[in-house]
Amino acid sequence: MAAVRDGEFAALQSLLKAPSKDAVRQLCQECFSSPPAGLGPLAQRACPGLAAGPEEALQLVSALHNLTRHVVYRGLTRAEDILSIFPENFHQNLKNLLTKIILENISAWRNEAQASQISLPRLVDMDWRVDIKTSSDSISRMAVPTCLLQLKIQEDVALCGNSPVVSALTVELSKETLDTMLEGLGRIRDQLSAVANK
Amino acid sequence: MRGAMASGSAVVLARALEALDVGGAADKINLIPQDFFAELCEQIIQHLNHKIPGVDTAELCQRIQTSGIEINVGDLAKIANVVSFLFSTAARNSLSTEELVTTLGNAVTALPKHAVQVIRHVWNEHGKSISVSEDARNMATLGQFVDIKWKLGVAMSSDTCRSLKYPYVTVMLKVADPSGQITDKSFEMTIPQFKNFFRQFKEMAAVLETV
Repeated sequence: MAAVRDGEFAALQSLLKAPSKDAVRQLCQECFSSPPAGLGPLAQRACPGLAAGPEEALQLVSALHNLTRHVVYRGLTRAEDILSIFPENFHQNLKNLLTKIILENISAWRNEAQASQISLPRLVDMDWRVDIKTSSDSISRMAVPTCLLQLKIQEDVALCGNSPVVSALTVELSKETLDTMLEGLGRIRDQLSAVANK
Repeated sequence: MRGAMASGSAVVLARALEALDVGGAADKINLIPQDFFAELCEQIIQHLNHKIPGVDTAELCQRIQTSGIEINVGDLAKIANVVSFLFSTAARNSLSTEELVTTLGNAVTALPKHAVQVIRHVWNEHGKSISVSEDARNMATLGQFVDIKWKLGVAMSSDTCRSLKYPYVTVMLKVADPSGQITDKSFEMTIPQFKNFFRQFKEMAAVLETV
């Protein structure tokens, strides 16, 4: 995440025309959350009062997007570190306001970045049921306990954008295979404890 | 009477083969070296005998590809389906080796010679032992869980956060679908999600105990 360029700080000055501090806050959040491709539409939607024209609007949202993402990338958490990003002659009050807004949101933004980074598909839900098979067309009486498990798995968020694809995997487990699963999971748990204790 | 019944069964097999697009499979079977094809057939027989939960086509495909053959998992799965159907139909109709081989030879698009040889050999060895009856443990209407592989990782850095240190668990479940194909499903969990996952399975096991 490249550092914020001087031209971009100049574009941020448009925020001085904002109707309220809350408007600035709102815009910061939207600019952070928007992917680069969404900045164009965001500029048209969010900045009619702030910018002289569409080009200036786009420069503003891009600058705000880059600034907020840069702070999250560097993992800055202290006011003085964030303040020091701004150039010497930047408008004092605006600098303080932006720093305050960033500090308020930094933790939520970091979580958002982690949640949307590339990954394998993620488990989003899990449901289960225990059944007993009592009979079938070939066996008239039996009592076989079975577990039915349904896992809902969401494909890579980065690929799906705003319409996540969730697939359901339904699996049957017998007592034996459930024990296999528990053994595997137990080893993960042991490994987690070992790592946590280091 | 027996002769008429037997050839009737062979006709059933022949018609079913046509329907199953053996022609399409025949071209693809040509690609597979004889020893890999033999391994596939052996796995299929073991699955039909309920000795293994399914045929691990993904794993076998990888080995075939490593040896330089260009075949994809989908094609291998189709071939496995055709051969599995062949063997289970032959078992249900108690076909002899000769009947099976003759029917294959007479099918509209014949299988390659090396494949027929393998089928003849495998059927000779194991054909009699395939039991078509179901018992309680082997009634599968859903995918059956086979195995779990896992990895515990820490994401160090990404394009959005230079210093992450974000732990996660990656899990790969091997599931045998009712037709006997084993597929892999991989996914990630955060640590809290994993703890919940584990807890749910312990609850399941507890319920199973009481039932």
